[in-house]
Amino acid sequence: MIVCRNICKAYFHGRVRKNVLNDVNLTVERGQRIALLGRNGAGKSTLIKLIGGVEMPTSGKITRQMSVSWPLGFAGGFQGSLTGYDNARFIARIYQRGYSQIRDFVEEFTELGQQLKMPVKTYSSGMRARLAFALSLAIEFDCYLIDEIILVGDQNFHRKCYHELFEKRKDRAMILASHSTEVVREYCDRAVVIHQGTAKDFGDVNLALEIYSNL
Amino acid sequence: MDRSSFSRLYEGWLVQVRVVHALMIRELTTRFGRENIGFLWIMVEPLLFAILVGVIWRLTKGPEEHGMTIIAFVVTGYIPITLFRHCVARSVAVFTSNGSLLYHRQVKILDFILVRFIIELLGGMMAYVFIAIILIFFNEFPMPSDIGLLIAGWCLYAIFCFSLCLIIAPLSEMSEVLEKFVPVTTYIVLPFSGLFYMVSWMKPEVRDFLLLSPFVNGMEMMRKGIWGNQITAYYNIWNPIVCSVVTAAIGLALCRRVRRNLSVE
Repeated sequence: MIVCRNICKAYFHGRVRKNVLNDVNLTVERGQRIALLGRNGAGKSTLIKLIGGVEMPTSGKITRQMSVSWPLGFAGGFQGSLTGYDNARFIARIYQRGYSQIRDFVEEFTELGQQLKMPVKTYSSGMRARLAFALSLAIEFDCYLIDEIILVGDQNFHRKCYHELFEKRKDRAMILASHSTEVVREYCDRAVVIHQGTAKDFGDVNLALEIYSNL
Repeated sequence: MDRSSFSRLYEGWLVQVRVVHALMIRELTTRFGRENIGFLWIMVEPLLFAILVGVIWRLTKGPEEHGMTIIAFVVTGYIPITLFRHCVARSVAVFTSNGSLLYHRQVKILDFILVRFIIELLGGMMAYVFIAIILIFFNEFPMPSDIGLLIAGWCLYAIFCFSLCLIIAPLSEMSEVLEKFVPVTTYIVLPFSGLFYMVSWMKPEVRDFLLLSPFVNGMEMMRKGIWGNQITAYYNIWNPIVCSVVTAAIGLALCRRVRRNLSVE
């Protein structure tokens, strides 16, 4: 279970203060798949980073009682100047997993071939997404945090992702920030609409999507 | 401490070791690559610095100073000072440049400082040992008379450097102005680093003043450990210890504060 209690997040730039999230409460039970909906800049990514522990809330408390993945997105989680293999090795080391097993999975899932020997900064965004996905799927988590990334990549990659995430790991919890109404409608059991710093929790995904599309 | 908290501490220690290990390998590959001598580059810079400056001093000032071979004197001064300058320079903006690693929750911001410090520390120590062995072979460096004192001095010196990093790293995130002041400040510190002199060469009133500097105390200990009875050294081990504890406490508080507001791309 993940509990976010009275989360506020503000960013400071010099003396300017920008409130992004204001008193957000959210509970994620095991196996629940939750969509985060909101316009660009509404705070979806911020909430995901806070839940993932990448950034700290300005006030409020987050308790995690299951293992939570790092936020899957285009940036973060790996080092641009290192090769794909080096990144896999790094992940294997800090999560204490066997490198050969992770390497095999990454090779098979990403289909990047020789490109894995090149620095990640030379990758296209689709290739980065493949690597990011592969690395986080190579480690088993109870809850996956996914930030938009699911929409990039080609058909083949989509199919693989859906298979790995929504079929093989359908017992896992998931927090998914997405603009894709189809994905949300098909796979999520709940939706949270973030607007003007507040989050509204909807048990009915269709209702949430309707409100979101009228924002 | 009961059983469970002890085993949790042990688990935490294992995570810490794993993370530091992984981060060190990552840092070494990004900085030095796998070409030619690879990570051995970490000792090349202090080594070159000490050797070249030593040669210049040898040529300008003759073979000895106050009964110490001049090359050895320069080497014992320059390797610690490179440690100080490098680890301070490396801790500027260390949180931002490593920000993407914070995606993994077991990696903490203190690990960034620690890892860079350890790399500089190892580089300095390797350079020290390497150069000393070579110079001993050429009879330009005395056999250390009290190796324990030498190591103790080095440790105190290094610990103080580390506690300074704990302050510099968060401050550099709070204000970008600091970055501009770091090079000049490390330069100004040079006279107070014990690099160019032994405290015993100074007048008594200057002595007391110099001995306020933790660097000078550490440096005197190291040189006493090397030359032993041939030289007179003044030091107080409590000075670097107290200075480090105070600095580290301030630094840790600042780190904690900065982590709250750190925004990661």
